[in-house]
Amino acid sequence: MAGDQGSPGPPPERPAPGGGRGSRPPAAAGASPAGEPGLLLADLARLRRQTRTARHAYWFPLILFGVLTCGAAPLYVAAAAPPPASGAYAVRSGPVLLGGTPFGTSTFYIGWYWAVALVGGYLLTLVWYRRHAGRVGVRTPARGYLITGVVLTVLALAIPPLTGWLHVLSLVWLPFGDVWIRGTLAFLIIAIGLWVLAWAERSRVLAVIALVYTGAALLSSLYNVENVVFRLGWNPGRSAFAWQLTALPNVLLPAAVLLVAGCGAFLAQRRQGRT
Amino acid sequence: MTGHPTNGLDDTVHQRHRLGILTITAEARAEFGYLRDTLGLTPGNLSRHLTVLEEAGLVQVDKGYEGRRPRTWVRITGKGRAALAAELAALTELVRRHHGSPAQQPGLTPAPGS
Repeated sequence: MAGDQGSPGPPPERPAPGGGRGSRPPAAAGASPAGEPGLLLADLARLRRQTRTARHAYWFPLILFGVLTCGAAPLYVAAAAPPPASGAYAVRSGPVLLGGTPFGTSTFYIGWYWAVALVGGYLLTLVWYRRHAGRVGVRTPARGYLITGVVLTVLALAIPPLTGWLHVLSLVWLPFGDVWIRGTLAFLIIAIGLWVLAWAERSRVLAVIALVYTGAALLSSLYNVENVVFRLGWNPGRSAFAWQLTALPNVLLPAAVLLVAGCGAFLAQRRQGRT
Repeated sequence: MTGHPTNGLDDTVHQRHRLGILTITAEARAEFGYLRDTLGLTPGNLSRHLTVLEEAGLVQVDKGYEGRRPRTWVRITGKGRAALAAELAALTELVRRHHGSPAQQPGLTPAPGS
């Protein structure tokens, strides 16, 4: 390849210090121009990998949402309290899609907890990506991730109350009660956000994490995970509070996936940053 | 592309550092300092290459401030993505002809979304 075909012809470049941040000189530097297209292609592929690695920063949203999920665990334990002996239920209108069954006051708090935690978490993640871009010099377009998360959260908040005026909206959520009745719809919103982020980051690893997390979120939404834990030998006891603890596996399973993946990603990205 | 694959090479794009700029910005919006360090260029040289690419409509240069620090961000345009894809296709075809078999170069296909 001609060193400087086209116009204008810049003066000679300074020698690349170790090939910039990489271990080799930049694209075919010093190579016979037209005779080394293979070398040039390999160097361009290396540049692309290097840039992709530099912009990966997804450990933060994984850990953030893992911690936020753990923070919600006490609310799920409280919501699992047995109904009062009189059989009367308190019904308190709230974000039913995020909080789960409308019976009892604790699900009201779960709903509002997730409304704030999801929007706050997505905003914090956007700020994180902006700061990371300022630090390393390459920017992941995280705005789509923010928009996806906030729009889904707002829809989850708005659709049930709007159903009173627009009855057809009931078709959007009432037939899918299995997905939200346990108050775990937030996990699926987080999962969709991870898929969007995996696309924005062009990360296969994050796509695999999103796949595993989606599986865990669906399991927590559709099944009582404590059944599995019981079979593994866990017996919380017979007291009322011990019974409430059986709500924990459904919450801690997706949280564990996020935290383990986030810690692994943090270590891997820190190691890559050093090399 | 017709005839020999070199017919598909664009004089503006077919320069190793400009190809590097396009490759990096096709992956993500990049800051001036990142391009300078990664490609091992002086600021003046990088500016000249960016001017050539910007005048050809292949990249867009956004200058601004983050706090008090002046920052220059470079992003590839749709035309730039197409030019990069054409260049990579031409180079791949050259390699294929040279070796007489399909090229098996890692990561040669344009990035998803490009």
